[in-house]
Amino acid sequence: MNAVIDVQHLKKTFNKETALQDVSFTIQKGEIFGFLGPSGSGKTTTIKILTAQTEKTDGDVLLFGRPANEMKQSNNRKRFGILTDNSGLYTRLSIEENLLLFSNLYQLPKSAVKEALDFVNLYGDRKKKISQLSKGMMQRVTLARAIMHKPELLFLDEPTSALDPVNTQHIYNGLRKLNEMGTTIFLTTHDMSEAEILCDRVAFLHKGKIRAIGSPKDLKKEFGDESITVELKNGASEVIQNGNQDAEKLFHWMQSNEVSRIYTNEPTLGNIFMQITGSDLV
Amino acid sequence: MNLSMTRIQAILMKDYKEFSRNYAVSIMVFMPLFFAFLYSKTGSATIATYFLSINIAFSMVTSYVQCCLIAEEKEKNTLRSLMLSPASLGDILIGKSLFVFIITVVIVALTIFIVGYNPANLFILAIALIVSTVFYIAMGTLCGLFAKTIMEGSLIVLPVILIFSFGPLVLALSSASPIFKIAEWLPSSQLVVLGEALEGTYTTMDVIIPIATIIAWSIVTWIVVGYIYKKRMVD
Repeated sequence: MNAVIDVQHLKKTFNKETALQDVSFTIQKGEIFGFLGPSGSGKTTTIKILTAQTEKTDGDVLLFGRPANEMKQSNNRKRFGILTDNSGLYTRLSIEENLLLFSNLYQLPKSAVKEALDFVNLYGDRKKKISQLSKGMMQRVTLARAIMHKPELLFLDEPTSALDPVNTQHIYNGLRKLNEMGTTIFLTTHDMSEAEILCDRVAFLHKGKIRAIGSPKDLKKEFGDESITVELKNGASEVIQNGNQDAEKLFHWMQSNEVSRIYTNEPTLGNIFMQITGSDLV
Repeated sequence: MNLSMTRIQAILMKDYKEFSRNYAVSIMVFMPLFFAFLYSKTGSATIATYFLSINIAFSMVTSYVQCCLIAEEKEKNTLRSLMLSPASLGDILIGKSLFVFIITVVIVALTIFIVGYNPANLFILAIALIVSTVFYIAMGTLCGLFAKTIMEGSLIVLPVILIFSFGPLVLALSSASPIFKIAEWLPSSQLVVLGEALEGTYTTMDVIIPIATIIAWSIVTWIVVGYIYKKRMVD
């Protein structure tokens, strides 16, 4: 397997405060990996260490098999794209001028700007100045800039946090297309449904430690139960466990046409996060 | 160092567009011209007066504008975006300096014209002015890298404006307080020394020492700039 990111026993302290403690995970080429955790859990610090914006305190961090520190070299910076909440844009320039600047820095053809604008659904607004844009539009411009050079690895820090549902769906489709073309995606989010829709695997980060890691399906299997809830026409509801005794009960209700609704009790990723950490994701 | 003309030109063009739409900073380039006009009306035609106007142009245009451009990039996090792009340290620093260099050349030339200075040796003076421009750009870059916001940058650059514009005037006090003799080695004072030498009969050393002093200031300042820039690449 081709590990694009390999993090082992990563530790980061700021003065005396520990931001990350013994964090280990590996991301394979072509994966969409979700890093889930509440604000202040260490998600952005992890992205900053991976992109050589912050020095680690201890541990091993490899990107493309090389120490993350080498990402400071200008040629290596072509290999990844990044969107964070503090990715700056030139506010006196238009959307198109901002992207043209970066297309020149990445030495891309001009067509890359149009492709990126189409990706974020902003081609019609390309002449607008950044200072005139809403937060959501600015986020889409930053995303366009991050994907314009079709990076091998894409870091997205809360990519859809300021977007409306229509544009969120548009971005999801674009990210899936980008992933199908071979881009590995490292995504941080609070949004559990986003993680379930997009991610092949997720890690729960809480107070600087990884509490669980795996595919959404496997985590649900591990932390959920296999019970179902049956609502009866008389208003009563009952939880049915996997077993002969309960199966007979269910069979009886169905035969006598007493069942109003049946649904599984599969937990959401949010439920699992709460179960593991004892706290909410917000 | 890995340099790319495409990247340097892209950063230069971006700075030009941003600057032309940023009236708070762009208006500053007219201040030295206004001072030069006032001096020209005083009827004082000494080398010291000419170079006071030129040194004010260097501080108020070169250092101030460069400082504000860098500080604004820091305030809006765009400098970090540039640092995360494939643009190298050289691409960014040269690209960001080239625009201020061009403005400085135009403003200093206009200042010389307005004050009516007619140098005896334009070639040597031009070399000294170019080297001085490189030094003042480095000072502006350094101040900008230390600032977190434009407001902070415009405060940090104030001592630079005071020391380097008016440093040569302090020399007048050196007979009473010898400590002020140190001002003789400021790049702005060396420019005046060179200007005075060029008006009379001068030796090679009269030319080399001032230019070498300004070059030494430039080299030291650019080394510090490179060091601070690399530190600013990481949190």
